[in-house]
Amino acid sequence: MYEKSVTITAKHGIHTRPAALLVKEAKSFDCDVLVECNGKLASAKSLFKLQTLGLYYGVTVKVFAEGERAEEAVEKVSALLITLS
Amino acid sequence: MSASGKSASGKPASGRPASKSPAPESPVPGSSVPVSPTPEYSVAGDSVSGISVSPGIGFGQALHLNHAEHRLDYRPLSAARIPLHRAKFSKALELLKHQLRSGQALLSEDCDNYQLIDADLLLLEDEALISQIDDAICRLRFSASVAVEHIFARQASELASLDDPYLANRALDVRCLSRRLVAAINGSLGWDLSGLDKPSIILAEDLTPAEFAMLPLQHLEGIVLKTGGLNSHTAILARAAGVPALLNCQFEMERVPDGCDLILDALAGSLYIAPDAAQRTQLLAKNKLETERRRALESFKDKPTLTRDGHWVALLANVGNLNDITQVAAAGADGIGLFRTEFMLMNAQSLPDEKAQYSLYCDALHALQGKIFTIRTLDIGADKELPCLQLPQEDNPALGLRGIRYALAHPELLTTQLRAILRAANHGPIRLMFPMVNQLEELEQVFKLLEDCKTALNEEEKGYGDLSFGIVVETPAAVLNLPSMLPLLDFVSIGTNDLTQYAMAADRSNPQLSRDFPALSPAVLKLIQMTITAAKQAKVTVSLCGEFGSDPAIVPLLIGMGLDELSINLSSLLEVKSTLCNGRFCDFRALAQSALSMDRIDTLKQCITSYK
Repeated sequence: MYEKSVTITAKHGIHTRPAALLVKEAKSFDCDVLVECNGKLASAKSLFKLQTLGLYYGVTVKVFAEGERAEEAVEKVSALLITLS
Repeated sequence: MSASGKSASGKPASGRPASKSPAPESPVPGSSVPVSPTPEYSVAGDSVSGISVSPGIGFGQALHLNHAEHRLDYRPLSAARIPLHRAKFSKALELLKHQLRSGQALLSEDCDNYQLIDADLLLLEDEALISQIDDAICRLRFSASVAVEHIFARQASELASLDDPYLANRALDVRCLSRRLVAAINGSLGWDLSGLDKPSIILAEDLTPAEFAMLPLQHLEGIVLKTGGLNSHTAILARAAGVPALLNCQFEMERVPDGCDLILDALAGSLYIAPDAAQRTQLLAKNKLETERRRALESFKDKPTLTRDGHWVALLANVGNLNDITQVAAAGADGIGLFRTEFMLMNAQSLPDEKAQYSLYCDALHALQGKIFTIRTLDIGADKELPCLQLPQEDNPALGLRGIRYALAHPELLTTQLRAILRAANHGPIRLMFPMVNQLEELEQVFKLLEDCKTALNEEEKGYGDLSFGIVVETPAAVLNLPSMLPLLDFVSIGTNDLTQYAMAADRSNPQLSRDFPALSPAVLKLIQMTITAAKQAKVTVSLCGEFGSDPAIVPLLIGMGLDELSINLSSLLEVKSTLCNGRFCDFRALAQSALSMDRIDTLKQCITSYK
């Protein structure tokens, strides 16, 4: 299991379009990628779940993955969480 | 904020902080819609009004495109019917995905809407969502429609409860998608467009750009929507396709049945329901005149603005957003004489950062292909309500911390903008102008900030380019102080709206005053003349960006006074161009000479009307 914590810097939070990009990135990995935020947990591959986390400006998000290329998946997804706006 | 900025935003120049009455003529800030100034006819009868977002007159039959509210059957399914409803659900998913993809295929990949459709598609492919709905059908014995409703509604309320209003707004998108999925389950997604084999006017609650793109244009005479604003994507597409369109129109469904005769006068913003013969005749005549007028104007599009005796004038556009900018070349303008950058703040929660501004300016340069690009730095005044900036309460905002005064008092805002502009100038020519500059000192402070920005960019090894500099001349003080400032400038642009209100000490948003203190008055003309003379002596280009310049009746006078450029609304551009191309500069000069000798407003007005 690999994990990393990041803080959202996008002023409007991770809203629909950036979230969609994030889901696409997560889906390119075979391993499970999970995102935890505000005490809620969601698969990074599900826009439906991800939307409800409240990924808004300033919150801290923990990204986990387990399985094949887990470290790479976590790095990619957390990098997107930081840079997307 | 300068003269032209205000009239286009429809906000009063010096409104007290409390008065927020928007001017009726311009319902949405910062937008320019090519609504033609056609002579007004009044047609009595049964009509509803809306915001015209695409001009023209359409004649056709009503055709409703409904996202109908389906009655949901809440009775639990019998075990035998479960497989049927699972199949209904997955078929509807495929149908809707197919429809979204074909709509998406018509859009360019980098447009917002393309990416939003992508998000809808991701949701429709979402395993968590699909399994929850499937579960609701199998375990809770909900019908396919009820299951979709139920799961999406839960999602929407969860989103709506998020602390962040921006994210919470996504609940609306989810409800919208749910409605379409339910429609697909009920087999009503494929609209019945069979009525579109004859001239039709489409009526709907809402129309997404993807849906618009699917409409056959051949018999489409107009679009009327209950929702939407000037700058919605559908509005832009309708304009581009030349389909008359009325948005925000509260028609009553029952009064406009399918097949009902309609006339959509998007010039006047009216929809006529079952018009009588007299109305029809009148509107047909209006349409004929308008068509002829537009055809005649179109012929000027690709011509240079050259008077019959060979005097050339640069005709520029006043714009407020990137969409306007992309239209500038096609509209027959020589470039942009005023880009109001405040628009970036109108609906924003915060000022776009340097990177976002930089890419905006680069996009504009790219769209303009070397044509003149004049950026006015943020023109913020106490009367502009901006959600992202806390403006102080002032007793007299028109005489308060506005324009360059505000920017100098908040150098962090100005610096971000200056850095973005300097960097963008590396990719193309940019003219930069500053609003409400009265004094040499203010100009010196701005130039000091610019030097600081350049030093910082050098240290960061970021490239930047050269700029031309100008100011908006909009106070009598600026006119009087101009000779001292001109050596630092490459151009000046006269903002007539504010210049008039400050010269006359007459609040231009006060209806009791505006009639008696028009811009076309001896004092204002003298100030304009002084500005032109001083600029010419210093060999500095002189432009005018107030509303004044968009009036074809006044343009000959202004050009006769010696302006090098005019910056006007895109919607008036061809009309002004045709006026200039059809006239002679020597006549304009004679007109200016006699106009400047008038010492009364009424005789001045007569002098202008008697020309031609």
